[in-house]
Amino acid sequence: MYAILSMHMANELLSLPVAAVTLLGAAAAVAVAARRSAKSLGTDRMPLMGVMGAFVFAAQMVNFSLPLMPGTSGHLGGGVLLAILLGPAAAIVTMTAILIVQCLLFQDGGLLALGCNIINMGIVPCLLGWAVYRIVLGNIKSAPPWRQYIGAWAACVIGVAAGAAMVPIQAGVSGVLRIPLGQFLAVMVGVHLLIGLVEGAVTFAVLAYLRRVSPLLVGLGATQAVGRLGRGAVLASVAFTALLLAGVVSWFASASPDGLEWSYRARSYGLSGRAVAPPSGAVAAVEGWQARWSLMTGYTRRPAALGQTPADAGGQDAPAETWPNVDGWGSLAGLLGTLATLGAVYLLAVLVRRRFSRPGAAA
Amino acid sequence: MHHHFIDRFAQLDSPVHSLDARAKLVAAVAYMAVLISFPRHQVAALAPMAVLPLAALWLGRVPMWFALRRLAILSPLILTLCAFSPLYDQSPCVAAFGPWRFSMTGGWLAAGNVAVKFAFGILALTALTCTTPFSLLLEAMRRLFLPRMLVMQLSLLYRYLFVLIDEGMRLRRGRDFRGAAMAPVSRRLAAAGGIVGALFVRTLERSHRVHLAMRARGFSGEPHSLRLLGFSRADAVFLIAAAGYLLFCRWAYPALVAGN
Repeated sequence: MYAILSMHMANELLSLPVAAVTLLGAAAAVAVAARRSAKSLGTDRMPLMGVMGAFVFAAQMVNFSLPLMPGTSGHLGGGVLLAILLGPAAAIVTMTAILIVQCLLFQDGGLLALGCNIINMGIVPCLLGWAVYRIVLGNIKSAPPWRQYIGAWAACVIGVAAGAAMVPIQAGVSGVLRIPLGQFLAVMVGVHLLIGLVEGAVTFAVLAYLRRVSPLLVGLGATQAVGRLGRGAVLASVAFTALLLAGVVSWFASASPDGLEWSYRARSYGLSGRAVAPPSGAVAAVEGWQARWSLMTGYTRRPAALGQTPADAGGQDAPAETWPNVDGWGSLAGLLGTLATLGAVYLLAVLVRRRFSRPGAAA
Repeated sequence: MHHHFIDRFAQLDSPVHSLDARAKLVAAVAYMAVLISFPRHQVAALAPMAVLPLAALWLGRVPMWFALRRLAILSPLILTLCAFSPLYDQSPCVAAFGPWRFSMTGGWLAAGNVAVKFAFGILALTALTCTTPFSLLLEAMRRLFLPRMLVMQLSLLYRYLFVLIDEGMRLRRGRDFRGAAMAPVSRRLAAAGGIVGALFVRTLERSHRVHLAMRARGFSGEPHSLRLLGFSRADAVFLIAAAGYLLFCRWAYPALVAGN
């Protein structure tokens, strides 16, 4: 599921300046992380990060079929688990190596979008996930097990969703495909909250195993008594995640003018995030230039669309055009989009399974 | 899983394969940069950009079906995103193709633009990785810009990728043979956690063994490789030709077409 849905940023959605800035930013952050990881891991564990990258690929082979959606299966994204087990610096270096290999060997995510991908799937989930985990956990030696489980679960949900939320922002700033930021953000965060939920569940199970088998790895003393995972811890974690999910969903669903449109306002995109170019002279000039030089010489934009926002145009545009921008409907569209995406994935999974499984083999 | 599965065509012999890895990497990055620098409503002006990756694939004897299948596997997500563009960007415009005129919206043009850029980008990346062994690509990256430490991790990742994927598949097969599909959700989850956890512990031990083996062979922090890169005249010609063609695509071709 993660492989299908996880959004590797693509080259084509980025403009050159955004690609350059994110590449430089990611390079700087990875350089810092590399230095810190060399210090924290020590030279004798140098091969660890590379081999751990291979581990993440292998761990993605291990799927488990989801309860409510037969046919789809969830597996590990890996960044947050690595951050919890190895520390954020080593996790960031490992994720960078993984993303470069995914880009070059599997063509997953563009070459110039590598900076964005390292930020979205490496730096943000690792740092944020690790911070959430440590804050919830407190002092590991004295913390009860349930705090570790809740911390891991919350770290996955928040880390993965926050990383995914960067995608629409980067695409919006680039402005190649003008999908309204609010809706795109709502769909991405909604889908990735669910992905984070699955990832959190697997991370949770891995920690439960490691607590029992090698407590040193999860920061416990070797002689410390470790009980099995209690039912209370599971229930508390599920309740916590459900509350978190409900909170975010209700935030999206609130009809008040939400914070999602801020970037459109900030970039003077019109009143409510209209999808047409802003009425600035520079853009008009660029578009005139573009119309002159393009092969489609006949292509022009209607002056009303080019120079005015819908409010300025005084209802000149058809009402159908303003449909996606109705306040409050945008958040509903986000929810519906999430459901539609999940439905599409489910359909795809069913089709693929029917195609690849021999009759009688599928349980 | 054999590493042939991924690196299948990189070991062939052709004029493209014998070019220096650095030249190919620089050309690929430049190609991507020019590709995404095209304005967001141009579709037909992108056409000549197809020549470079297709030529590289053809001269490199990479079967076209392989590249196209890659493209098909990767395309659903980006196409979904493109499909939303016409909904939101409804500024009317007229597209001209020869003597014909079509009235359409800016959203359709932007969607076409992104889809075409995506296809060309994937073809170019496929051409790069199918004509260059990954080890040489890493060597090129090390010489060009990447820090040595990261390249080291990348080469270790590549070396152990296939080993660990095999191990993960073995564990998964064992679980499936034991009837995991019949188990309730909580048991399935515990099994997945156990497998990944066991894999993690094994990987830690393996990396320790790897390090001991490297030290025993005199590793001092610097990787050695036998096949050194050599920048020849052919590489210089290739780079200049590629740069010239990219400039033509970006600046001269749109102007030429507009002139007619």
